[in-house]
Amino acid sequence: MFDTVTSARALMGMSLAFHISFTAVGIGLPLMLFLAEGIALRTGNPMYREMAKRWTRVAAVLFAVGAVSGTILSFEFGLLWPTFMDFSGAIIGFPFALEGFAFFTEAIFLGIYIYGWDRLSPRAHWLCTVPMMVSAAASALFVISANAWMNQPAGFEVVNGKAVNVDPIAAMFNRAMPYEVTHGTLAAYVTTGFAVAGVYAVAMLRGHRSEYNKRALVLALAVAAVFTPLQIVSGDLSARFLAHRQPEKFAAMEGQFRTERGAPLRIGGFPDPGARETKYAIEIPRLTSILAFENADATVRGLDSFPQDAIPDVRLVHYPFQVMVASGSFMLFVVTWFFGIAWWRKRIDPGRWLLRALVAAAPLGFVAIEAGWFVTEFGRQPWIIWHLMRTDQAATPREGVAFLLLVFFLVYVALTIGLGLLLLRPSGSAARPPQEAPDVA
Amino acid sequence: MSLEVLAAGVVLIGLIAYAMFAGADFGGGVWTALAWGPRARVQREAIFRAMGPVWETNHVWLILIVVTLFTAFPRAFGDLFTALFIPLSIALIGIVFRGAAFAFRHYGSEGGARLPATGIVFSAASILTPLTMGMALGAIAGGQITIRGGQVATELYEPWLRPFSIVCGLIGVAMCGFLTASYMTTRTGGALREDFRNRALAASLVLGGLTTAAIPVAYADARPFFDRLGSPAPIAVMSAAVAMGVASLVVLWRRWYALAPPVAAGTVALVIAAWGAVQYPYFILPDERIDSVAAGHATLVAFLVSLPIGALILIPSLVLLYYTFSERTDRPAPEGPPS
Repeated sequence: MFDTVTSARALMGMSLAFHISFTAVGIGLPLMLFLAEGIALRTGNPMYREMAKRWTRVAAVLFAVGAVSGTILSFEFGLLWPTFMDFSGAIIGFPFALEGFAFFTEAIFLGIYIYGWDRLSPRAHWLCTVPMMVSAAASALFVISANAWMNQPAGFEVVNGKAVNVDPIAAMFNRAMPYEVTHGTLAAYVTTGFAVAGVYAVAMLRGHRSEYNKRALVLALAVAAVFTPLQIVSGDLSARFLAHRQPEKFAAMEGQFRTERGAPLRIGGFPDPGARETKYAIEIPRLTSILAFENADATVRGLDSFPQDAIPDVRLVHYPFQVMVASGSFMLFVVTWFFGIAWWRKRIDPGRWLLRALVAAAPLGFVAIEAGWFVTEFGRQPWIIWHLMRTDQAATPREGVAFLLLVFFLVYVALTIGLGLLLLRPSGSAARPPQEAPDVA
Repeated sequence: MSLEVLAAGVVLIGLIAYAMFAGADFGGGVWTALAWGPRARVQREAIFRAMGPVWETNHVWLILIVVTLFTAFPRAFGDLFTALFIPLSIALIGIVFRGAAFAFRHYGSEGGARLPATGIVFSAASILTPLTMGMALGAIAGGQITIRGGQVATELYEPWLRPFSIVCGLIGVAMCGFLTASYMTTRTGGALREDFRNRALAASLVLGGLTTAAIPVAYADARPFFDRLGSPAPIAVMSAAVAMGVASLVVLWRRWYALAPPVAAGTVALVIAAWGAVQYPYFILPDERIDSVAAGHATLVAFLVSLPIGALILIPSLVLLYYTFSERTDRPAPEGPPS
């Protein structure tokens, strides 16, 4: 079966893949609740209050699973990577401590929010979404800063294999932090916007073109419309940062084997490590040089120019990168289509093809998050701490990780089935299909 | 007091808070399993309603402990998880299933979609977690984890699958049951309250019996622990724990219910504090001292400074949370959470 390092990587990867999806919604939904309940307060329109109420229940379940899966991760640091934590705990533990506070705050106010609908004044209840929003975004900032540190380690010196002169603040504000944090946090809002929109697009495709569904769809897509373009800009900035600071990751993303002046942008294609080239890609001449260095003749370093035992597997980075970019582009296209046609016709009345496109876009935020996370993680390999500690040196000496992998695989299957049963039942979903006007007291 | 000891104090306070708050949620699972008599169903429902708004917040104390461990004591963190690989894995699985089962059952039943087996999973996981966590603490305090040349030298099962650790695991379960039953006496009334009072009395006797039994077991199985019991600090804290335990019996016997939760929480806090007093100044008996496994100065300063700032936000929020949801739960709220 798998050896310890492979099992530990697979288990950590599986746990993060699972956790990330829930955190995205945990960050995005508070904003949606803030908007919906805020509009309800402002306009007195009970539909928005109903919207917020239904989203609350979904938020509650997803937040609970997110909290549980986050706990799994905190234990796995010790169970799987004790050597890594021994070295870096003192350096990057600080942002995790801050994250603990932020998460605590979100849990408290979510608890008050979920159970306080009839115990607080409407205004006080609405105001609970503010600490939820702020602490959720702060959580993302703190946790992602630790991942950024693994890519651009800072804030310490190494003496005899030990980290000394530790400066946790400098470690947190490492070079990659602004880029990763922005990209990772904006992703959550985009994802939530499209996911929520998808629910109402399904309902409308099934013929429930109620005012309620329409308004919910517009609200969700408005969030998506604001954050999708920002996310694409932040993605561009991140790629440029990588081209300068982590060039082997950038080369793997672009499928760039040979160092090249005026490198083309490769769309799709199959990187062939044997032949040292990316086959069958659509190549746009010089565009990678232009995008990364603002110069059509700029030299882009290829994977061949790095020590061959210290570069990532290009296939594990190039394909996810293509998937992420394609997903983002499609989401931008769909949201532009939606508001473009609404602006043109001066009314909101999406046609069947547009609704189908919205349904297709609904899971793409999650797809893009997972793919982007693959890019950043596989692109850092073989390092757990870039250019400092290799992943295979960091794992636990314990046997039996393969068994733990199997156990947690079953745990995640059970959680997924449970969630599916809970959220997909008619009474659990945010848009109850048989509805004309919501029954609001 | 040195920064290292302060940080170790944060771990101890985190453990006490986790036991006092989340312990009661685990106890909820214990009493869900043990609910009997004509009011079994009502007992379960009252527990569920009391837990609903607060269990996730209570759970965060565990995150605080883990984060403090790997920030302030990264070496000990690595060693503990290596030495206690199995009990901590089991505890984790228990935490996951308990949280998920509770959430699924809770939100599922509101929507009329009750998932099968969530009750059993919830109970089993609620017992498993304090049991294995108690066993892990017993292994640490019992001096069962040896570290040679910076590496954990004990086998997979050696430090925790032994009499002293098992007694500590059972103490963990008894504590949880005792806390829940005591807390529930102020959240219920009438015959239901009597049920919880009787359970709290029984649990406090079991807890007293187990903690007393732990001392001869330690003599036989965990000498490093036993040998440290005679120092002044452990004696003082243990005496206070015994006094508080007796007080909780009196309070329950005389039905002074308003006092039951604080006295029960105090008992549990003192039992855990006694464990801390025995351990001090060791982090992992007998090979790792607190100051030898702590992180550097800058890290400890940054971490310790963040605590009061965080507390400034958290404490008012927590007060608001517990204040908003402090009334009786033996009857449905006027209007429940959104359906």
